[in-house]
Amino acid sequence: MPDDFQNTYSLEPDVSKSLLPQSCQLVIFGAAGDLSWRKLLPAVYNLNIDGVLPTHFAVVGFGLPAEGHLSGDPDDYIRQRAKDGISRFSRQPLDESHWADFARALFFVPGSFNDARAYAQLKAKMEAVDQQFGIPGSRVYYLAVPPTLVGTCVEHLKAAGLIADPQQVRSFTRVIVEKPIGRDLDSARDIMRVVGACFAESQTYRIDHYLGKETVQNLLVLRFANSIFEPLWNQKYIDHVQITVAEEEGLAQYDPKTGEMIATRAGYYEGVGALRDMVQNHMLQVLCLVAMEPPWSLKPDVVRDAKVGVLNCLRRMTPAEVEKHVVRAQYIEGDIQGKRVPGYRKEVRESFEVMKKPLPPESVHSTTETFVALKLFIDNWRWAGVPFYLRTGKRMPKRASEVAIQFKDVPQVLFGSPTDVPLEPVVLSLRVQPEEGLAMRIASKLPGPKVRIYPVKMEFNYSSSFGGTSPEAYERLILDVMAGDATLFMRRDGVEAAWQFVMPILDHWEQMHVRDLPEYQCGTWGPVEADRIIVPDGRRWRTL
Amino acid sequence: MPESSARSVPLGAVERELLRQMRELQGPDERPVQRTRMANLVIYCTSQERAARLNAEIPDVVNVHPARVLLLVADADSPGTELEATVLVRPLRLGSHGFSFSEQVTLTAGRSAVHHLPFAVRALLIGDLPTNLWWAAPVPPPFAGPILYELAEHAQQIVYDSSGWPDPARGVAATAGWLEQIERGGGPGHWRVASDVNWQRLKYWRRMLVQSLEGAEGRGLFESAAEIRVEHGPGAVVQAWMLMSWLTGQLGWKVQTGRVEPGVEMVWRFHGPSGEPLLRIHRRDEGLEDIQRIRIACRIDQRDSALDLFVQDGQRLALRVEGVEEALRTMTTPLQSPAELVGRQLSDRERDPVFRASMSVAQIMARSLLECFNGAAG
Repeated sequence: MPDDFQNTYSLEPDVSKSLLPQSCQLVIFGAAGDLSWRKLLPAVYNLNIDGVLPTHFAVVGFGLPAEGHLSGDPDDYIRQRAKDGISRFSRQPLDESHWADFARALFFVPGSFNDARAYAQLKAKMEAVDQQFGIPGSRVYYLAVPPTLVGTCVEHLKAAGLIADPQQVRSFTRVIVEKPIGRDLDSARDIMRVVGACFAESQTYRIDHYLGKETVQNLLVLRFANSIFEPLWNQKYIDHVQITVAEEEGLAQYDPKTGEMIATRAGYYEGVGALRDMVQNHMLQVLCLVAMEPPWSLKPDVVRDAKVGVLNCLRRMTPAEVEKHVVRAQYIEGDIQGKRVPGYRKEVRESFEVMKKPLPPESVHSTTETFVALKLFIDNWRWAGVPFYLRTGKRMPKRASEVAIQFKDVPQVLFGSPTDVPLEPVVLSLRVQPEEGLAMRIASKLPGPKVRIYPVKMEFNYSSSFGGTSPEAYERLILDVMAGDATLFMRRDGVEAAWQFVMPILDHWEQMHVRDLPEYQCGTWGPVEADRIIVPDGRRWRTL
Repeated sequence: MPESSARSVPLGAVERELLRQMRELQGPDERPVQRTRMANLVIYCTSQERAARLNAEIPDVVNVHPARVLLLVADADSPGTELEATVLVRPLRLGSHGFSFSEQVTLTAGRSAVHHLPFAVRALLIGDLPTNLWWAAPVPPPFAGPILYELAEHAQQIVYDSSGWPDPARGVAATAGWLEQIERGGGPGHWRVASDVNWQRLKYWRRMLVQSLEGAEGRGLFESAAEIRVEHGPGAVVQAWMLMSWLTGQLGWKVQTGRVEPGVEMVWRFHGPSGEPLLRIHRRDEGLEDIQRIRIACRIDQRDSALDLFVQDGQRLALRVEGVEEALRTMTTPLQSPAELVGRQLSDRERDPVFRASMSVAQIMARSLLECFNGAAG
């Protein structure tokens, strides 16, 4: 690779040399699906507008059309669907001249994932595209498919001879595996074993889009590029950490005019729940970045070693501790953006009606949690005794995700602060979404003759400071795969360690056989029961 | 730089619209948009007319204490079933060069949509900033019902103005207990204070009385007080009441009986250190909507006399001792609009034990009136 290429988003000079996206075909499995429509195709379109894609590049979609059958030209089909998704969800508006450039490199091969003939057609198409665009046979396979189909896809790819040797540099093959990786430790291991039988670990990119967000990446910079923070980043100065991922959306989406259900995630979410959907992956990954030891380099495996170190230090919970430190709940009818919205169980029933599928017996009185809050500890020297409070839920008042580091109180005697109106503690909060940025709340003296203390908040907002809009997480991550940089992707041992932490909770819940979960109204910050894991500690959940 | 034009948007688009208006006001300047927010200020009122007056006052409030303002208009005259959101951005000058922005979101709810308001507020509050609820509805907070408690869920301070309460005796009687309840109701680890803007209006009167009290103490003035007569303008009865509950509490007087002549006068008899002094709170039909005069009949140097405190030129409090040839003592009282009073209150979050003690006395005074009233009715 030429040395004169410099990559502006690199963090370390020796890594930057390898961070140039390489010529390839991006092959999206499930290209007609929801993820591709909302996120992947708009992400690639934005990369194209920003001029960061390799010169020799094309996108090939693979899978069955959303409608189940296809009449007409497959390439026209995917172009139309991509255009629709881009016009709705793209960070940058659809521009006809850019679109034409993008569309000419967008193709589709219809076929079932378990049909060997379809893979032959895919192979033929990819070879033709190689010829047309001068691509040296390099592939990035993006498996935007349910976890149950991951094995089928990779085995067929291998059988069709579509996986290159991991040592291949120019004609490389890489695979992106979407979360969830399994629904428990055993199934995760199964998926990773099957993928591992076809792809080397160096070819495998387990994606967690949260790690592609600017603020999450900024955690590393904040901690290790500013000398004021790292000395304080330990149990001596930090009182506790709160990580919140609040979603405004529920299971289903409704047409604002007619009120009719227009989309639902019930097929995926029901029976999965918030612990598997959010905590096991996104939140634990973010926790790792908050809590890890300083890596000696930003090389992918060095960073991932540091992250796995955190996961290995998570204190595993006993059943009694699960009862004490974990709260799950389900939303009931409430209010979002001034509109009444139904409870979870009703949404599940209606979703299955809309999907024209029979309601599974276990979903009749679903006990899938849409909210989970937990207190956990990291048993190492840095974090001994510091609680980490994690909270995530659907149908909360607003979409907001943040990491909040609350520092220890100062002795209040100095300022004679009355104990019933205590000084607000110093908090450093990193907003992951919707407006990425960071804020610090500190105490300040109010002007005037008396010493009166008032909390002030210093804010830094990415969009208002740097202008424009930050790239979507998927943009960054897709680019990283093309560049062969696995820093922001989960390694196999990391996935296993995360599941090992979560399994005692899932096992205990499984044994509990509860008929009903605690409830919270849509548009509130969760059930009152969530207070019992934090209020007795003299702390409170933050208001975001 | 003028403020932006208020624009209606769907609730979900409020934040985006705020930023858009700020960028538009800033123009081609490429510096980061600066917004100044020291607090969340949730204002609740119950009519469009009141909302219009509040809209005129809000710039003065945020000039004193920049805040994200959420103005809630529960419009009982409107049959609307949905919330309407309007967004407005105001420039705030920073020194001689730069400027920043403050923001206001107005949520209007017809009578069938009022229950949506607490949910919408949750979504619009800014974390890590103190939250204040300014209760600008005519009904006293103790009688407000669940909406106040829902809106106060995340509030550290509830600001209200007892000026103009329609039934002062019942309002005052209920407030002392309500203060206790609301301030303890935040739950463990969550403090909350309630503040009456009317109490702030008494600052200079109290200062003047304290100086009189201290200056006259040696002469036995207050020990010999036989009657205190307070004259106030329309709507200021609670103000006068609070001042007198504070004063009588300081003097150690105990309420014996009370009676009321509606719209004219309230009278209490106390048990004092040397007798049974009377307190009369008398309403004038015209003049300032404040306390106008306090006359304390007493004996000075073995002679019948009186301490006369009154408003002079609308900008000073004056003190004269009847029968004593002394120069008039005066104290300048800067005019403070309701908006300024609220703005200053937002940063003053300490519990005022003197206010609470005075409200306890006021409650006893109110009960004596209500007993009298109920007895008469019975």
